[in-house]
Amino acid sequence: MIKSRDFFTQAVLLSPKLLMALLILPVLGGLVGVLLPAFGYIPALNKMSFSLEGFTALFNTPGFCQMVLLSISSALASTLLAFVITTLILACYFNSPWLYRIQRLLGPILVIPHAAAAIAISFLITPSGMISRLFSPWLTAWKTPPDWLLPHDSWGISMILGLTLKELPFLLLMALGALSQADLGAKLRAQHKIAMSLGYCPMTAFFKVVLPNLYPFLRLPLLAVLAYASANVEIPLILGPNAPPTLAVAIMHWFNDVDLTLRIKASAGAIIQLVLTVILLVSWWLLEKLTKRVSQTSIINGKRDYAGHLVMRFTHATTFILISCVVLSLAGLVLWSFAGYWRFPASLPDQFVTMHWHNALMQMHTSLINTLLIGFAATFIAIIFALFTLEAEQQRAQSLSRFASLVIYLPMLIPSIAFLFGLVWLQEQVNSQHALFNVIFSHLLFVVPYVFLSLASSYRRLDPRFANLAASLGATPASVFWRVKLPMLMSPICIAFALGLAISFSQYLPTLLNGGGRIDTITTEAVTLASGASRRVSSVYALMQMLLPALAFALAWFIPKLLNKYQHKA
Amino acid sequence: MNSLLAIKQLTIWRQQTQLLSIDESIQGGEILSIMGPSGSGKSTLLNWLTGMLPHQFRAQGSLFLNQQDITQIPSHQRHIGLLYQDPLLFPHLSVAGNIAFAMPNGVKKHRTDKISHALEQVGLGGLEQRNPANLSGGQQARVALLRVLLSEPKAILLDEPFSKLDSQLRQETRQLVFNQIREHQLPAIMVTHDQSDTDAANGKVINLSSQENTYA
Amino acid sequence: MIFSKCYPFNCQKSRFWAIILMLLAISWIPTGSASDWQEVVKKGENSTVYFHAWGGDPQINKYIEWLADQVKQKHNIDLHHIKLTDTSEAVSRVLAEKSAGNHHNGKVDLIWINGANFAAMAQHGLLTPNWAEQLPNFALTNPIKNPAVTLDFGVPTHGMESPWGQAALTFYYDSQATQSPPYTLQDLLSWSAKNSGRFTYPKPPDFIGVSFLKYALISLTPKDKQHLLYQAATKETAAIILPKLWHYLDALHPNLWRKGRFFVSNSTALRRLMGDTELSLALTFSAAEVPAAVERYDLPTSIRSYDMHDGSLSNIHFVAIPYNATQSNSAQIVANFMLSVPAQAKKQQPSVWGDQTVLDLSTLSTEQAALFNQTTAHSSSLTVSSKSPSLAEPHPSWVALINQQWLMRYGAKSNMQKVN
Repeated sequence: MIKSRDFFTQAVLLSPKLLMALLILPVLGGLVGVLLPAFGYIPALNKMSFSLEGFTALFNTPGFCQMVLLSISSALASTLLAFVITTLILACYFNSPWLYRIQRLLGPILVIPHAAAAIAISFLITPSGMISRLFSPWLTAWKTPPDWLLPHDSWGISMILGLTLKELPFLLLMALGALSQADLGAKLRAQHKIAMSLGYCPMTAFFKVVLPNLYPFLRLPLLAVLAYASANVEIPLILGPNAPPTLAVAIMHWFNDVDLTLRIKASAGAIIQLVLTVILLVSWWLLEKLTKRVSQTSIINGKRDYAGHLVMRFTHATTFILISCVVLSLAGLVLWSFAGYWRFPASLPDQFVTMHWHNALMQMHTSLINTLLIGFAATFIAIIFALFTLEAEQQRAQSLSRFASLVIYLPMLIPSIAFLFGLVWLQEQVNSQHALFNVIFSHLLFVVPYVFLSLASSYRRLDPRFANLAASLGATPASVFWRVKLPMLMSPICIAFALGLAISFSQYLPTLLNGGGRIDTITTEAVTLASGASRRVSSVYALMQMLLPALAFALAWFIPKLLNKYQHKA
Repeated sequence: MNSLLAIKQLTIWRQQTQLLSIDESIQGGEILSIMGPSGSGKSTLLNWLTGMLPHQFRAQGSLFLNQQDITQIPSHQRHIGLLYQDPLLFPHLSVAGNIAFAMPNGVKKHRTDKISHALEQVGLGGLEQRNPANLSGGQQARVALLRVLLSEPKAILLDEPFSKLDSQLRQETRQLVFNQIREHQLPAIMVTHDQSDTDAANGKVINLSSQENTYA
Repeated sequence: MIFSKCYPFNCQKSRFWAIILMLLAISWIPTGSASDWQEVVKKGENSTVYFHAWGGDPQINKYIEWLADQVKQKHNIDLHHIKLTDTSEAVSRVLAEKSAGNHHNGKVDLIWINGANFAAMAQHGLLTPNWAEQLPNFALTNPIKNPAVTLDFGVPTHGMESPWGQAALTFYYDSQATQSPPYTLQDLLSWSAKNSGRFTYPKPPDFIGVSFLKYALISLTPKDKQHLLYQAATKETAAIILPKLWHYLDALHPNLWRKGRFFVSNSTALRRLMGDTELSLALTFSAAEVPAAVERYDLPTSIRSYDMHDGSLSNIHFVAIPYNATQSNSAQIVANFMLSVPAQAKKQQPSVWGDQTVLDLSTLSTEQAALFNQTTAHSSSLTVSSKSPSLAEPHPSWVALINQQWLMRYGAKSNMQKVN
């Protein structure tokens, strides 16, 4: 293929390298920026020699073992639980139209930021929350809220519940996505039928025939969920215990402490967090191997029914409870955001008022503008990079190297708490004082993978003959790109834009750290207010957090339709 | 005992349109052939027989297997084996694993012996631990047949079972399948659009498009 | 005793002197600094001020937003509220800047502060001195008559901070859950036994938590030993005074919320638990937040406020300028505006914040003073006739001691240092 030498082509061909640099430098630089202080090297504090004092301080922190255990147990328990329930739902409703109804009910949770979901759940399970209100006083005889320690229980049960509820729809969607691949889905369904015709009850047929072949498609999402669960801060902050918190939350507090010497301990903590996440991922992989080996004989032992009826009933109940939890917590949020006086144990407020919305909207304009500004800037840059990289792929007529594809997913796989602090340190080194720019840059790291993932498949599927045809009509590569490809990809680009916005809107840690606490977004405010005095204001912020991405997706759906209509009228 | 599969006064509707109507019984060792162009309701009939009729269809009538009414029994308890045009061997199991999967629960040693014996009988001796994906089309078809037979079904349904095989292999496999059906004295229903299949089956033929029963 | 003498509520005797001094003061304070102030205003306008202030209360945050709008209009100053979860964050930030050699471009321009945080900053020389008295509006506080505006928890401010508002420790209860709230510290013990799990206080070093402990400490200390609380604590005096407090808390804790095994980390959590009706009794340092919260539906209408009959701890809160503030002049302009009549009057409105003014209304014109009149008393607000004796803040050294020993005695299982 003869390449043209115009500016556009040069820019396009350069962009994959730029994208790689954009992702590798901050992430690896961030890791170095954590490694050095972890071993006691902080020039800013006049510490120029390497030592292990950070680790010593870390291991001597009271409750350190509890923190590590809490991080491990909550990550493993929530991931296992989400996985088990996902497979149970799949097994139970594999041949039923309910599978897609459940997906439609749970799907919207995907775009809800973790912080908002955590707030909704905390309002559900708190002693005066929706659950205890619904059952009081007629069942429980409680006239005042009971004395149970949820959320923030020291076992992390509330946190596990929150993580499970949030990750389950993601896993379910990934599984259904794999099943909707034409050949795989049809084959697995036919094999499921065969197993049933061989006398297997539907549940057993799913576990013995479908799951072993579906699992490879769930492995990466599961590992991503596990990595996230082990190192996230939003959910433990809102639902987790504080004495002691999870390791990630403790690290965040140490890093945020303006006592700079604590940064050594925090960096050591970030290294331990990284090791911990890797250990968890490896253990999951080992667990998988072990399960495979152990189940090998039982798959072919010919047993056709393992109390399938009971398991099915259990699954019906679990699914019902899950969906009720989602509906109730959303309803709870909406009720609180409009609630007048609402004394326990009334299940509805005495009156409905718009005051909380009104007050909050008056106050949130700065954070709203920040949220939108950062979101649009980061997403716009990410989209340009993703499109140019994909275009370069087509111009070179070869797809990205394995290394490059791995790099794009780097920010999704490495716990952000491990490299973000290093990134802050890097930004301090290059003396980047502009908080807003730093925040946009850090958001970009998290937006790029999703935007790229979302655009890649439709860009690669685009029929190359359109481009060839346009070129044969005399169009330059630039005008082929702008006037042929982009208009044809309007819909996927809009969806990718909405996804990018949703990812940016939900970022808590990068906003907090890279902005030095100076940039407020709806998400940072929502997390701060979650521990504040007013359930009503907190609800408004959590709902705003949900509304923004929902609005973005609605627009992404609507704009291409509108454009289409307009073009065809003209 | 002489086995018998009886379809009694079956009518299937899609929404308000009547799709097909059948009243037949098939003796053990007998093969009923169903012919008809696509859309005539062949696979809908098979779905009804296996108890997997999609909810947009409506059926009236009953199905008896060895004098037992199994119309309302879920598919996995019907003991009706299925053979598709694709062998649909489970990719995560070996050849022996695929067959063991189908066999009733029992003593392990006894089961493996039985598998080896069956494989030898169809000329696949020694292939127990092979990955089914590495077998030829004909070999895969034979494993699929063994898988159905060793599950000890009381009747068998064949869904265009030979359409993907080339003519030489097709004839051999067909012979093997029909011989086994007759040997096990199983009532069988075969859906096909290939006249040579119905000729070889040497039984009653129902043509769904015309709804006229003809005898070969 | 020195401190208690200085407090406004103990200085009726000195009224005569105050009037004389006031006349003197009025004659020199504004004139001496008028031209200097013009200079400050000239240098300080059209810039950006980072105001580090606790951000846990939406009502206060909203008031600070109003302040920002005003200084933007009047002086073209962009006032950014950096919302802290704990004021000590800003203190250690300035400390870190000082140790890193950043002596001129500090990130903190103005800081909301009092008590131990002020004492720590003053001790380490982290604050700009001698500016507060130069503010034109400072005269409105009538510092000669109200020396409390120049004392922060007994420590002289030396012009390092300008008063912003004042507060007294106020209790509030849910009248639907309990008809007779406790009126003394001893009542509280028997009330808690009857209403088990319905009261708690935030975990020290939270301000409200420590204030409750100080109130208990003063109430439990016999009159003849109270002077010890206003001197630096020593091992000997601690051994005399503290056992009574621990003895009291040992008896109280089993009847607290969560049986005293878990303490909330701040007073906003306390208010939310009151709103949830998990608690029936709570305490606050800003009495007006209670009716305001009722107005906003965050607390039920059955909430009533009152003062303890055995005394109410009171104090003044201030704003200070770090020694290395980038925009020291602009921060002074903001601080001066905070002391202005419209800003103070608005702040005292129960619907806005309800924080009591530090201005001496007698220095104002009738129209100005009228701005501070509360329209109608809210059923949940503190009754004006309340006659609780004011309790002065003990010497800051006691606070450190109480914190430390409390955490050792009760905090071991529920507290992590430097975490939360």
